[in-house]
Amino acid sequence: MTNAYQLTGIKLSYQQQLALDIPELNIPSGKSIALLGENGAGKSTLLKLLAFTTKADQGVMTLFGQVISSSINTVQRQKIGFVEQHPYLLPGSVESNLKLALKLQGVPTEKHGQFIQHALEHTQTTHLAQKDSNTLSGGELKRVAIARAIVYQPDILLLDEPFSHLDQRHLKLLEELILSLSQQDNKTIIFSSHDRLQGIAIADETINLVAGKTTESPLLNVFHGSLSQHVFDTGKIQIHATSTLTDAHHIAINPQEIIISAQPLQSSMRNSFTGRLILIAEEEESVRLTIDCGERFHVLISPESLNNLNLSLRMSICLSFKSTAVTVF
Amino acid sequence: MNYFAESLSSAFKLIISFDPDIYQVVFTSVLISITAAIIAASLAIPAGVSMALNSFRGKGFIQHILNTLMAMPTVVIGLLLYGLFSRLGPLGHWGILYTPTAIIIAEAILIFPIMMNLAITAVRSADPRLVPTLVSLGAKPTSMIVHVIRTTRLAMLAALVTGFGRAIGEVGAAMMLGGNIEGFTRTMTTAIALETSKGEFELGLALGILLLIIAFALNFILSWLNPNND
Repeated sequence: MTNAYQLTGIKLSYQQQLALDIPELNIPSGKSIALLGENGAGKSTLLKLLAFTTKADQGVMTLFGQVISSSINTVQRQKIGFVEQHPYLLPGSVESNLKLALKLQGVPTEKHGQFIQHALEHTQTTHLAQKDSNTLSGGELKRVAIARAIVYQPDILLLDEPFSHLDQRHLKLLEELILSLSQQDNKTIIFSSHDRLQGIAIADETINLVAGKTTESPLLNVFHGSLSQHVFDTGKIQIHATSTLTDAHHIAINPQEIIISAQPLQSSMRNSFTGRLILIAEEEESVRLTIDCGERFHVLISPESLNNLNLSLRMSICLSFKSTAVTVF
Repeated sequence: MNYFAESLSSAFKLIISFDPDIYQVVFTSVLISITAAIIAASLAIPAGVSMALNSFRGKGFIQHILNTLMAMPTVVIGLLLYGLFSRLGPLGHWGILYTPTAIIIAEAILIFPIMMNLAITAVRSADPRLVPTLVSLGAKPTSMIVHVIRTTRLAMLAALVTGFGRAIGEVGAAMMLGGNIEGFTRTMTTAIALETSKGEFELGLALGILLLIIAFALNFILSWLNPNND
């Protein structure tokens, strides 16, 4: 499978603050990929970079195997459709916005009608064609913006927080649209979301971003602090790690590597904390527990374990994990 | 007081009677100013939009020059152009001194920095998502300028009207380069200066009133163009 994008040694700063630091990232084509991370993690910046509406300070990017040196050409631009978190439609009708996109992309005029009809049907916005762009609701605006982004039939569709501020009906419509574009049209869909579950539910793959860096670790149990002599200090608790990195300020702990018990365990595990169980939630086929030990830890257990452990809210609970379960970055 | 009241009454009579001498001057003035405003706008607006959209070395310096030129006395522009267009000047062979063309050039130069600055402000005041959206849709530099102007057209029209207003009220350069020739280069402002010095106060006053009416109309158009005004 070819890569839609390959990023190597990417660094991008805003006002002397590092917003993205990606040593290597390959994004396969023809898949839907969720870009996960908390607010300020660099998701929008990465999407803008992938849309070539912003430039990296350092590093090399390729688009379908072609190195993009300074700016992309018309043919390469046609491969990318980009919808920002708060899309902007130009004054005028919905149809005029789609026509503008086709005109700017150099699509022959005789194809405009057919392309516009296809995009409107795909996004279920045909009835909005003649509506003024200023009169659209939030959900309609997002779908029209997607229609405008797909009207020239790009291979890649980049969506920044497409599900934010949508009601259930528009949310469902948008999920169906993304799945249809990805599965039926074989497009590469990259969308950002701060909702981990939603991302996992729709996407074939996920990219986790924390403080501008990609991480293999799931976005649970990510703590900010400083590392000194194998001990990571979050300001509230100290966590043992094996890494000797000096410029690292984040750690992540895989929730499946955390063991919980009613009493402290007698084991070789370097990290052991006692806290209160504050949340029990169903997640996919697991159960997620949130335990407050000064920092909030998330632990994934099976529904059977939940029954066996006889857990209840506010009860005191111990958690333990090895220092090797701590990823420092 | 009588003198002023009588002059005012005579001035209104001249206006109402559609005195051909007065309206010839008004027509010349409006024609020269509209031409100057259109020429200046056709250069200043794309230049302003282009400057607002791009970052380049020396941008701050150009902005300083523009601000300085906005405050430049009109007689200085008149003086410089007089030197260029006079028979012994480097452009003397054009033979445009004491013609409407010379006034148009002077007024276009005078209002260029005003219009360019207004165009820059219009782009900066536009929705910050406009330019990134056009970039992501594949707009090339020229089509980018066209669509930014189209989207901010009311502000650009306001820049044109402001430039016209500045041009029609200009007197120094019009006097030096036009020579105040009756029926040819005599504009409202130069005519007011001349007629008043000749003692034809009511004629000057009539032109002054018409100039005020034009200024009022321009301000009315400007506030109508600004959607934020109630």
